[in-house]
Amino acid sequence: MSGAWLRAAALALALLLAGWVPGEAARRVVSLDLCTDQMLVLLAPQEIAGLSPLARDPAFSAVARQAAHLPMVRPSAEAVLRLHPDLVLAEPYAASLAVAALRTLGLHVLTLPDPQTFAAIRAETARLAHVLGVETRAAAVIAAMDATLAGLPRAAGRRAIVLEPHGFAAGPHSLAGAVLRAAGYRNAARGGWLGLERLLAHPPDLLVLPEAPGTPSLATDLLENPALDTIPRRTVPAAWLICGSPFAALAAARIAAR
Amino acid sequence: MIRLLLLGLAVLFAASLLVGAAGLGVPAPVILWQLRLPRTLLALLVGAGLGVSGAALQGALRNPLADPGLLGISGTAALGAVIAFYWGLAASYPPALPLAGMLGAGIGAAALLGFAGRAPTSASLILAGIGLSAAAAALLAFALALAPNPYALSELTFWLLGGVADRTLSECALAAPPILLGTALLLRLGTGLDALSLGEETAASLGLPTGRTMRRVALGTALAAGASAAIAGGVGFVGLVVPNLLRPRLGERPAALLLPSALTGALLLLAADLLVRIAVLALPLNAEPPLGVLTALLGAPFLVLLARHLGR
Repeated sequence: MSGAWLRAAALALALLLAGWVPGEAARRVVSLDLCTDQMLVLLAPQEIAGLSPLARDPAFSAVARQAAHLPMVRPSAEAVLRLHPDLVLAEPYAASLAVAALRTLGLHVLTLPDPQTFAAIRAETARLAHVLGVETRAAAVIAAMDATLAGLPRAAGRRAIVLEPHGFAAGPHSLAGAVLRAAGYRNAARGGWLGLERLLAHPPDLLVLPEAPGTPSLATDLLENPALDTIPRRTVPAAWLICGSPFAALAAARIAAR
Repeated sequence: MIRLLLLGLAVLFAASLLVGAAGLGVPAPVILWQLRLPRTLLALLVGAGLGVSGAALQGALRNPLADPGLLGISGTAALGAVIAFYWGLAASYPPALPLAGMLGAGIGAAALLGFAGRAPTSASLILAGIGLSAAAAALLAFALALAPNPYALSELTFWLLGGVADRTLSECALAAPPILLGTALLLRLGTGLDALSLGEETAASLGLPTGRTMRRVALGTALAAGASAAIAGGVGFVGLVVPNLLRPRLGERPAALLLPSALTGALLLLAADLLVRIAVLALPLNAEPPLGVLTALLGAPFLVLLARHLGR
């Protein structure tokens, strides 16, 4: 596994992102959450009537560059109604009041659960592609993801922990746990709040951290605590780990890179 | 009394280095020096600063309910610190964090002590403080909602209730000079505060400078409580409880209460932080409870008892 390989994998997804042709805008689709934003930009950018504001934030969105030129909408029922969308995408629990209101008003709202394994990412990508009518494109995206995963080393047995803001550690059944497994690491955390003391009492071989956002908060500054300097670390763009999307394969490639 | 307090502090200091989420006993050096030492030092500093601020304010205002938290001084301090922290000022110039806290506390303290001169009763001063405190908390939530980092709003708990966990030695170094300076300043005000306790007119007729004492109380509180809130958030009730705990033993004279209040404040806050850590060891918690939860649970019933006592 080399850095060049990672760049090639990133390039493959980037090419897919850049390669769309604006065809007939058959439908107007609105997305209310970051994770559905990323899937929509990846699969059907020509149908976007509105993305959530977080889609443009490079600290949290894997598609911030593309989203900069796409329309935004505040996740409130009124703002969405004004766009007369044919389809609204949302996560199951976020913006639930707006989603309930839109459903009452007769809009077609599709809630997409956030997949926590690569198998579930494949299934959810295919399901959304079917609704959007972009099966060919989804097959290419999934093939790029699988090609990235296939190139990763197997069963190295080293222990790693994905440490998230506030000192939470990703458990084995989370997306980050699946990413660690794909990268050939054993997840040393059981999930939930860990805190710095317990982490340092049994330090892992590798600490995986989301890249620091450009703005300070206590939650994210915690990951910069000098006490953690003794453990080897690798930073991953937060956007690749936040959502169960094909971008998670890039996170696994970054962690596995030597 | 002082000797007993120092002994208690020594015992808790040792316990504080040996108790934590990683378990009981001597931990790995990195945990000992980079996690437990900073939080121990910070608990001592903040506890001492809040304890002596409470004693000085209660003496100056002749009101046993005066406290930097209850009067909103910690709130305005936290507001200043929040503005400096989340908009990146403290990241490019670290001393901006305690400085902004002190500026916020200074504005709050000056407003209150200015009002105190015109307050018809001591209850109206406490009401004014509660108003200031509520306004500061509202502005705090508003600032955190505006802050560019999406985690900011979830940190309202810290700024309202405080905590000393996971702070670094460099943050201790930022907090220590202003807290120590403010504490030293307040400790020297004994004579002036004793004179004020006779009433402002009496003190003035004796030729004792009441205005200067008031201004120094405001300055010392701004330094000690302001820097405390900037680094450890709005830990409440320490300044309120400590002098009231000591009064039955040491008497009403403010001068006799200042140093014992500083030491008891440090003792109380370190004990509360130890309870926080024991809670993590003993209970299945999602995270450490905020330090202010413990001080409020200890302090709030005390406040109710005090209110009943005052009514008689």
